Amino acid sequence: MSKVQTLDISPVGRVEGDLDVRVDIENGVVTNAWTRAELFRGFEIILRDKDPQAGLVVTPRACGICGASHLTCAAWALDTAWGTTVPRNAILARNLGQIVETIQSLPRHHYGLFMIDFTNKNYAGSQYYEEAVKRYAPFTGTSYEAGVTISGRPVEIYALLGGQWPHSSYMVPGGVMCAPTLTDVTRAWSILEHFRRNWIEPLWLGCSMERYEQIKSYDDFLAWLDEKPAHANSDLGLYWRMGREMALDKYGRGHAKFVSWGYLLHEDKYNKPTIQGRQSALIMKSGVYDGASDTHKLMDQIFTREDTKHAWYNEGGEVHPFDRLTTPVSKNPVDFDDKYSWATAVRHVENGRLEAGPLARQLIAGGKHGESWQHSDSLILDMYKKMGGPSILLRHFARMHELCKLYREAERVLREFRLNDEWYIKPTEKDGQGWGATEAARGALCHWIEVKGGKIKNYQIIAPTTGNVGPRATDRERGQIEQALIGTPIKNASDPVEVGHVCRSYDSCLVCTVHAHDANTGEELARFRTA
Amino acid sequence: MANLLWLQGGACSGNTMSFLNAEEPSACDLGTDFGINVLWHPSLGLELGDNVTRILQKCVSGEIPLDIFVFEGTVVNAPNGTGEWNRFCGRPMKDWVRELSGVAQFVVAIGDCATWGGIPATAPNPSESEGLQFLKRKHGGSLGAGFKSKAGLPVINIPGCPAHPDWVTQILVAVATGRGGDLQLDDLQRPKTFFTSFTQTGCTRNMHFAYKVSTTAFGQRKGCLFYDLGCRGPMTHSPCNRILWNRVSSKTRAGMPCLGCTEPEFPFYDLAPGSVFKTQTVMGVPKDLPSGVSNIGYVKLTAAAKAAAPAWAEEDIFVV
Repeated sequence: MSKVQTLDISPVGRVEGDLDVRVDIENGVVTNAWTRAELFRGFEIILRDKDPQAGLVVTPRACGICGASHLTCAAWALDTAWGTTVPRNAILARNLGQIVETIQSLPRHHYGLFMIDFTNKNYAGSQYYEEAVKRYAPFTGTSYEAGVTISGRPVEIYALLGGQWPHSSYMVPGGVMCAPTLTDVTRAWSILEHFRRNWIEPLWLGCSMERYEQIKSYDDFLAWLDEKPAHANSDLGLYWRMGREMALDKYGRGHAKFVSWGYLLHEDKYNKPTIQGRQSALIMKSGVYDGASDTHKLMDQIFTREDTKHAWYNEGGEVHPFDRLTTPVSKNPVDFDDKYSWATAVRHVENGRLEAGPLARQLIAGGKHGESWQHSDSLILDMYKKMGGPSILLRHFARMHELCKLYREAERVLREFRLNDEWYIKPTEKDGQGWGATEAARGALCHWIEVKGGKIKNYQIIAPTTGNVGPRATDRERGQIEQALIGTPIKNASDPVEVGHVCRSYDSCLVCTVHAHDANTGEELARFRTA
Repeated sequence: MANLLWLQGGACSGNTMSFLNAEEPSACDLGTDFGINVLWHPSLGLELGDNVTRILQKCVSGEIPLDIFVFEGTVVNAPNGTGEWNRFCGRPMKDWVRELSGVAQFVVAIGDCATWGGIPATAPNPSESEGLQFLKRKHGGSLGAGFKSKAGLPVINIPGCPAHPDWVTQILVAVATGRGGDLQLDDLQRPKTFFTSFTQTGCTRNMHFAYKVSTTAFGQRKGCLFYDLGCRGPMTHSPCNRILWNRVSSKTRAGMPCLGCTEPEFPFYDLAPGSVFKTQTVMGVPKDLPSGVSNIGYVKLTAAAKAAAPAWAEEDIFVV
């Protein structure tokens, strides 16, 4: 019988916030895993008894990476609670803020967080290694420097609408605070063009966006890759070729069950926002995709449960977020048989643990469910089937694939603004329950609010990273990343970069959830620690 | 060459994200042009696991000279002063903060959380958070009121939620190029060069302020946000309208009231019901007046302003 080696990795950096991971390794392969979030700030507790609009100020600050997504949720949650009317310009302006934040995140995550690992000494034998170091070395790599620096440009458009990024609160119940002018719109156009001419086309794609947009299937993609050296040598081409060589298509699988809330509301279909009416007003549809049975269905917030059995809360079994109380334990020792994380286990009442994120969104975009006018795109679903399911390589590709689609939607918003129409309709404040949801770059995000007596009675947030890094549930089903780590080959236990690949492919954002570290007992260190 | 270590406590990473928007110099320029060597950063560092712990230990032991220690996020003390709700590399982050601050030449607190406690320290402050040397306006914080780094300065506070990237990069460049001695700090340990003027300084709505023409609701194309929508621009110290955000705008220019986020009291009134995006008044006079203006002075000023207001001031001015 081979020896089980237990490795505690604290922290796994470059995931936005710090993630702690424990893995059991047998014969160089991960056989069990636990993921932990180690910071508690208690935003839900801070929001209790505050001004109903406090979430507009506080929740973008839950996360400096996807603050626009939090703001979107906070605003729509109040819109549904108060029964507001939201003008079409305001829906468009909210969508644009969300889009540019996500576009910003693509090169920033790709170069700043993900590609650095391709320069790890583990891959020194690769035929692509020298080129990878030249392009992706931190701070000095040619693509790193270009990509990280230009990532600040899309959010200039956010600043035109909200004054600054991150941490504006320009989306408010009833609309938006701003009333952009023609110069704002033309400036936004030129920022988008600059981003396209200086990064998307020359560095990322090695071709025009129009050529890339012709890719509709896995075969199309492979043909594109072989068509010209410019494609194969682009940052996308190199990612794919080197990633295949690194076997990133062979692990990081997860549960192969996926969820998306859908996002970007249609400007003419959600002017009277209700919780129930959201589904049929979405441009990018919601859904659940079950890989095993290859079936799609719609997602609804009523199916959501949070299970705190293995999380540091005293709240019993699983509840719907409207019924959560957020009562942290006073002492938080790490006990893998009991409680070991501040993240909760997020479950679908019928389907259990679901993966959130761009791979989920794109697999759901390939389904035939939903309204005929809604966005659909079957590329990633086709790749998923032909490549035998989820992997690190496909998950990260799906993220970057959204670039051109979001860019086109940003262009459409700039064409659709009617500058002389209204941007805000002052609502009447009242008590009620509300729900706001969206897709942050890294996945499904939503807020539940209950307003009673003119103040917040309960505010609950489920962030995508809560869904992905959560601990085991009562039924012992593993969290997403815990499951995805199973089967990961570890070449060098003192620098387990493969664990980093898996975690970073989810673009986890621990700050939304909490934060991270390692609290092993001295005994465990003595027995197992190998690093 | 200056070694820089950047850690996050009770943080949202917003200051890191803001920092990455920097352009002149950019985050990459700091290394290539100014010799700043980033030892580790939670979003950018190469190492993971024990290799991170080793870097921190070498800084504490003096094996690696630590020139600049940057901290983002609050120092978490919960539960009951132990700091166990925010552990990092095997122990409470607050213990790392104390040890690393003790060996660093300069200690820089970036953002409201690290300076005063920020949003996490809002009542009831469930994480028992505080800033490095302040809790709200109270001097002391995690390191104590008497703390001085090896270069002889207290914690350099760069507040804001988030801090503007230029405020951060300029201070880092000053320190790395040997101009740390030119830094002048105000009573709250903020660099005076940024935090002496007001958020209102340079605001495009100043004429409307002067004539007391109000933006009465969001989405309008005229007016000042101070009178009805709770803007704190006239009593907040920041250069937000001198050094624009993301190179293009500021909150008040875009139509969003200033929240006063460079001041220790942010979020003001602890977000009590009725306080968000609404000017707090007593008998029709704002509770918080422009800095240094008396109640009587304000009443006289606004009466004169209204009497003098030209007709155009009531028309839309930021037109399509």
